[in-house]
Amino acid sequence: MSPPRLTGALRSFSNVTRKEDFDEKLCDLKTKRLKRQELFAKEGLTWQKVFHFCTDHQDKMKQHAVHQELKNLLFAAKQIVGSENGQEAIEHAAVFLLETFHNKDHVGTEETRAIKQMFGPFPSSAAETSFTCVARLVDSLRDSRIDEFIQSYCSRHKPQQGSSFGRNIAFSHECFMLDPLEELPCSGIQDQNMSLDF
Amino acid sequence: MACARVPLDEQQVTERDELGRERSLAALHPDRKQERLFVPYAALSADACPAEVEEFLERGRFILEDLEWLLGLPHDKFWCQVVFDRSLQNCLDSYVHHAPRSLDLASAPSSPAVAETQCSLHRAVFFAFLRMATHKESKENFITPAVFGDILYENFLFDVPKMMDLCVLFGKGNAALLRKMIDNIFLQQPSYYSDLEDTVPTILEVFDTILEKCGLRCAAAAEPVKLNAHKQPTAVGMTQQDFVDIVLYLCDASSTLHAFLSVFPAACATFHSRGFLCRLASFYESVVPDLENALTKRTFQDKSLQEDVWRRLSHSRRRMLETAHLLLHHTCLQPILEGAENTQTFAEEVLQHFTSFLSEKRFLCDYDELFPIEDDVSLLQQALPAIDETRTSYLLQGVHSAWESAGRRKPPAAGSPS
Repeated sequence: MSPPRLTGALRSFSNVTRKEDFDEKLCDLKTKRLKRQELFAKEGLTWQKVFHFCTDHQDKMKQHAVHQELKNLLFAAKQIVGSENGQEAIEHAAVFLLETFHNKDHVGTEETRAIKQMFGPFPSSAAETSFTCVARLVDSLRDSRIDEFIQSYCSRHKPQQGSSFGRNIAFSHECFMLDPLEELPCSGIQDQNMSLDF
Repeated sequence: MACARVPLDEQQVTERDELGRERSLAALHPDRKQERLFVPYAALSADACPAEVEEFLERGRFILEDLEWLLGLPHDKFWCQVVFDRSLQNCLDSYVHHAPRSLDLASAPSSPAVAETQCSLHRAVFFAFLRMATHKESKENFITPAVFGDILYENFLFDVPKMMDLCVLFGKGNAALLRKMIDNIFLQQPSYYSDLEDTVPTILEVFDTILEKCGLRCAAAAEPVKLNAHKQPTAVGMTQQDFVDIVLYLCDASSTLHAFLSVFPAACATFHSRGFLCRLASFYESVVPDLENALTKRTFQDKSLQEDVWRRLSHSRRRMLETAHLLLHHTCLQPILEGAENTQTFAEEVLQHFTSFLSEKRFLCDYDELFPIEDDVSLLQQALPAIDETRTSYLLQGVHSAWESAGRRKPPAAGSPS
């Protein structure tokens, strides 16, 4: 809870601010994760595209093994996203895991954080399993430019249009501090003896 | 993409709707807002458990990611988001409401990760507000100034408390940029001046509330008090928590007000016209000695807390004195120094204020110590040689008497022989 503030009083007792309050509960972290999943799903790379790419870039002899890895990846995704979610959500999660791990050599802090930010708490074994699946898939598709395939869809890695506002503006983190006591004028803290003689 | 060299508020764009049909719509249109869902900021409490720290970090990363996305948007898309996305407005508002001030108790972050997230958020929020206060980003990207003023005001993108929060959060290190922002907001939307006027009585009510809580002002003085009525609260008698809260409230109020008036001196005239200076002096006179007295009389188990509260009280005193000086300087002394036409009127006002301070002895001494009244009187004498000497002598004698009656010795002026 914030300590009492002057501006808090101004917001409560003056009529110079917006009165109706936006419901903060509508924006809890769970809702935010769902929104991020929804936005991710719109980015363009679908499970069907991944499936076709993996199948098309593999000779028939190895296709069975690739299909098995894709199946394993879906299973790991199901554990991460939660079994109560539908097939579509699981497939989007599997795509996310492929994007996250395709150029990584282990499950690091950054990857763990990215998965948690997207899906919330998850079993670490599922992350390890999905990492292993992705590593095997990438390994079997070494010459097929899987990086380029993913990059062409993955907006997370695309540079934003134009430059970010404020990039060239200096910002200072300096903030107001309490005055050093010795610089203040004489405080007069001593109790003044009040005379009650009239 | 919107057309160049036409203000954003007049631009039309052609976009495809959900069914793939082409349609023309205003560049600044709610349908052009993108789905994002910004989460509100929540401050981390000093005694947060690891799970709460983790939640703070996660929330911080969401906000940061979204604000970086926002700042990277082209001009037209940025404004569609700012105007039509309430979750974004709420996120920015929640930051200025809840972000820890450097003067809060235990405001230091609990871990390097928290500090880093807080620093990054602080910067991103500032740039979001800076961009919102800029109506012309480049030759191609701009909004008609009057329309810009209306957009800010009607959508509450800025309001007076928010600008005060911005000043206390960012005013130390980024005063120049903040001044440009707030100057521009008030310039493009003069309605903020009337909001400022409406705000002054509420600030005075805050002063009254503090006085009431200390038992220095009766809430309903006109009504007779029953003999068996509850005793008035006093600064000595209240709980330690209440006492600390009052000092923190005073510290926040005085620091916020001072930060705002320093960054935006044009507001001084509004405060001055509502008789704020006299009220500030009399508030100081009542509350400062009372709280100081209570602080020394109360028994604190934790001596470091007592010391800390004392520092905040001293800090508040100084900010109040500096605020009084800012008001006097920008409304009366500065015009005299600049040789304004009605110098006589300004000089008269300064003298009137100083004379009214004579009854607020503690305030007078403290003010005189920081901003010697003699110097200002000398300035008046130089600017207006015909000034009434009897009056200035009376005033200076009054200042001298105030020092004597307080039993304090005025420190020698810098450069004078010891």
